[in-house]
Amino acid sequence: MTSASSVASSSSGGPKPTLQQWYHQYGEEGTKAAVDKYAAAYPDATVKVGWFPGDYDSKLASALLTADAPDVFEAGNGPSIDAIQGGLVEPLDDLLGDTKADFNQALISRMSYQDKLYAIPQVIDMQLLVYRKSLLDAAGVKPPTTFDELAAAAKALTDGDQKGLFVGNDGGVGILTGPTLWSVGADYLTDDDKVGFTDPSVATAFGKLHELFASDSLLVGAPSDWFSADAINTGLTAMQFTGLWTFPDLIKELGDDFGVLPWPKFSADGAGAPSVPIGAYGSAVSAKGKNVDAAKAFVKYLWVDNTADQVDFAQSYGFHFPARESLADQATKLKEGTAAEAVKILQQYSHAQSPLLWTPASATALSDAVTKIIKNGADPASTLAGVVSKVQAELKRVVK
Amino acid sequence: MSTPVLGAERPVSSSSAAPTVVRRTGIQRPPIERFGVAVRTAFLVVGALLFLMPFYLLIRNALANRREIVGLKFTWWPAELQWTNFAEAFSSANDVPMGRAMVNSVIVSVTQTVLTVVLAAMAGYGLARIPFRYSKLISGTVLATLLIPSAVTFVPTFVMVSSLGWVSSLRGLIIPGLFSALAVFLFRQQFSDFPKDLEEAGRIDGLGWFGVFWRVVVPNTGAFFAAVGAITFLGSWNSFLWPLVIGQDPSSWTIQVALSAFTTSQTVDYSQLFAAAVIAVLPVLVLFLALQRFIRQGYESTGSTG
Amino acid sequence: MSAPTVVAPRPARRGTLKQRLLGPQNRNLWFWVFVGPFLVGLAIFVYVPILWSLYLSFFDARNTVTPTDFVGLDNYKFMLTDPAFLSSMGTFLVFAIFIVPVTFAFGLGLALAVNRTRWFQAFFRSAFFLPAACSYVVAALIWKMSIFNGFRSGVANGLLGVFDIDSVKWLSVTTPPWYWLVLVTLRLWLQVGFYMILFLAGLQRIPPILYEAASIDGAKPGWQTFRYITFPQLRATSVAVLVLLLINAFQAFDEFYNILSNFGTYPPYARPPLVYLYYVALGSQQDLGRGSAGAIILAILIGLIIVLQARFTREKKS
Repeated sequence: MTSASSVASSSSGGPKPTLQQWYHQYGEEGTKAAVDKYAAAYPDATVKVGWFPGDYDSKLASALLTADAPDVFEAGNGPSIDAIQGGLVEPLDDLLGDTKADFNQALISRMSYQDKLYAIPQVIDMQLLVYRKSLLDAAGVKPPTTFDELAAAAKALTDGDQKGLFVGNDGGVGILTGPTLWSVGADYLTDDDKVGFTDPSVATAFGKLHELFASDSLLVGAPSDWFSADAINTGLTAMQFTGLWTFPDLIKELGDDFGVLPWPKFSADGAGAPSVPIGAYGSAVSAKGKNVDAAKAFVKYLWVDNTADQVDFAQSYGFHFPARESLADQATKLKEGTAAEAVKILQQYSHAQSPLLWTPASATALSDAVTKIIKNGADPASTLAGVVSKVQAELKRVVK
Repeated sequence: MSTPVLGAERPVSSSSAAPTVVRRTGIQRPPIERFGVAVRTAFLVVGALLFLMPFYLLIRNALANRREIVGLKFTWWPAELQWTNFAEAFSSANDVPMGRAMVNSVIVSVTQTVLTVVLAAMAGYGLARIPFRYSKLISGTVLATLLIPSAVTFVPTFVMVSSLGWVSSLRGLIIPGLFSALAVFLFRQQFSDFPKDLEEAGRIDGLGWFGVFWRVVVPNTGAFFAAVGAITFLGSWNSFLWPLVIGQDPSSWTIQVALSAFTTSQTVDYSQLFAAAVIAVLPVLVLFLALQRFIRQGYESTGSTG
Repeated sequence: MSAPTVVAPRPARRGTLKQRLLGPQNRNLWFWVFVGPFLVGLAIFVYVPILWSLYLSFFDARNTVTPTDFVGLDNYKFMLTDPAFLSSMGTFLVFAIFIVPVTFAFGLGLALAVNRTRWFQAFFRSAFFLPAACSYVVAALIWKMSIFNGFRSGVANGLLGVFDIDSVKWLSVTTPPWYWLVLVTLRLWLQVGFYMILFLAGLQRIPPILYEAASIDGAKPGWQTFRYITFPQLRATSVAVLVLLLINAFQAFDEFYNILSNFGTYPPYARPPLVYLYYVALGSQQDLGRGSAGAIILAILIGLIIVLQARFTREKKS
């Protein structure tokens, strides 16, 4: 404990550095206590956990500019392209070593830029369509496999206060943009970083979302939004697009009276495919911190070496899928019943939520357009065409 | 700027006794007019009920359970009063640090009120009563900032404060809001009307500039200080945009930011949210009713600065 | 400093500078003691940010406050041709055109009614004034959850239910734009009492003799006295109220953000300028260059409006 003891040594004898670690607020009960526990168990540094309800992305983006940036933080699908190009985050390749191949490769590449990895995926989140089996049976409706079948099913399942389908109070602007693009074989960006949604079929597909919104069979104005199982659990809707994390609630309230589906392809003979968006919060290290090496060591400890905590984090508080294949076997709760079906869908149909070069400005431009199409019934083709130049300007800026 | 400052025109001694009895025309109403009186009274009663309804909803929700707030039917009053909502809203199991936010709000509002009033009163007095060559020019530069609504400058001020390293700190919450040109303007008007002979008397008694201000002027304009103080406190307690921008770490949230985060968080417990809202509003309402006269007076002078 | 002050006597040459600096009776010194602290703060926290913002607006300043990439007027060009920014100006216009006259009319109407009532005047005044103590955050909560929610548990839909009318999803649909009803009623509730107080103060300053004279001249109490005495006498108050209403409408942020924002996103409708700038500059975009350019454009616009307003009033006066 004397000043003579080596500062560089990370043994318990030296003065411990203090690290700030940030999470967004997880809705599932117990998550906060769990991350506090992981942090307290780390022997080589004092880790203080920051926990942020509300608009986490904005808070994080502006905090990274200041001297008080957190040492370690999670970022949805990794740090933004601007944070990476601005040198605000550290590359983390050397932490993974041989284990790199064990992580979900789609997410590893999503969090990499020019062959450097900037975040370590924590757990995989998935969005998918859940439905009440009993209600579909009673109405004589088969689980839909195309968009038209889905719309027809929603109509057949609508009965007074119970609506057929719930895709969020905004009519799907927030969570259906990706699945709708993929349902006609389009995407946000093409593989060579060009605008990916100029095909006329995209406009047709978004136009159909407006028809759905204008029909009486879509639930809007629900007390809890799409990310909570409340709407389907309380009988406000028969089908709902939601997250894998609601499974504990669904099982508790509905038992085995629910099934899962991917978002269907648009039409039986088109270029599209069924899809589910997957994403992951990735653990990243701020380049401006005072203890960058200590921060990296902590990330390696928690998200690479400590597999027991990773499994605990994935399945003890809501359902998530482990980010590493070797851990999937240990996630026992994902091996039975409806959860196992969800895993199958994930393996077959998953898409990374959005590409790295899809900047917030591009996202705002597209979601503004999609809102106008879905809610106001604006002409899909011309409205989408207005987005293209904005996205091109953003691409010109970030493609280097 | 040249419009007369109507609220500040009253002589000092009577400014604390603003007339509360309203003058009437003194004309006896003919019977036909009774109809008009009935219509007016009905309008007032219905209006008052509508205006008080949100407060009723606030209190009802704070004592109700979740289903009664967002269920499928309207609930007049909770079947069972859920007093535990209040305790739970402030419990540590909660993701939103309500207790801390409350403490922050009290510290920020009180400090800001005291310092704003002191700074503005001194500056207002200096500009009104100490002859100085560039006094007009300085008044001009102060008043010019009134033309630029503070909300438009939030981006640059954030840039400034973040480069000082004051993000997520009480300093960052309090200090940038202390320099209210409006308060200076109000005080300057008030002190310009202060009787000169009172000051002279103080000076003959051997008081200096500060002594006259502190011993003579301040004690005689107490009501006006209360008015500016009350308005500043309300504005500070209820302000949202600046604390939202500057309070990145939950430990530096004010009650308004905490309530807003509560609404947008993933697990909204509506009963607790409303219980917290009641706690955030009630003290201010009580204060507001108690100090209503001063606040009205302060607003009146604010309103006539246009 | 070279021009000698007329009043100052000229004693010995030595010490003149010091004496001139301090002024007679140390006036200059005391002026700075009184005004200095405020001025220093004003310079640092108001003037410096404005200048810095001006500086940033000429740079590509993403994710940084010390940019190096000078872009000239590009940010201004971008903002002035950005349909989202322009439509936010349109939103402000629509909002202002509605909220300014309606708040004005309600504030004046309440003031007239409260001023003339004989019963429970203090109660009525307090009831209408009380919402001024409430914050937009709390009001937004009540409006969103308990008055305009999508089900019968909301007051509005509960009322419609009494008449057997289907529930309206006030905040989810855009045709018709019911969300305006939510936003406008909220602001009315919070603000009307404040303006009522201003009008009440104005009413009480009207000399009663004017009314007595009018009644002798045969003017009927009611519309005629209002038209020819009350309203003209309230001119100064009315002008102040209009300016305040306009500035407040320009600054609209709190209720819009708390009612319509959704996890870091905000719909493209009912998005006033300040909300848009918030997302550009301080949201996940962190584009301080364009955000500052937008802020400067807004400041210039507000300045113009106020100057025009001042000129307009002066003309009327003369």
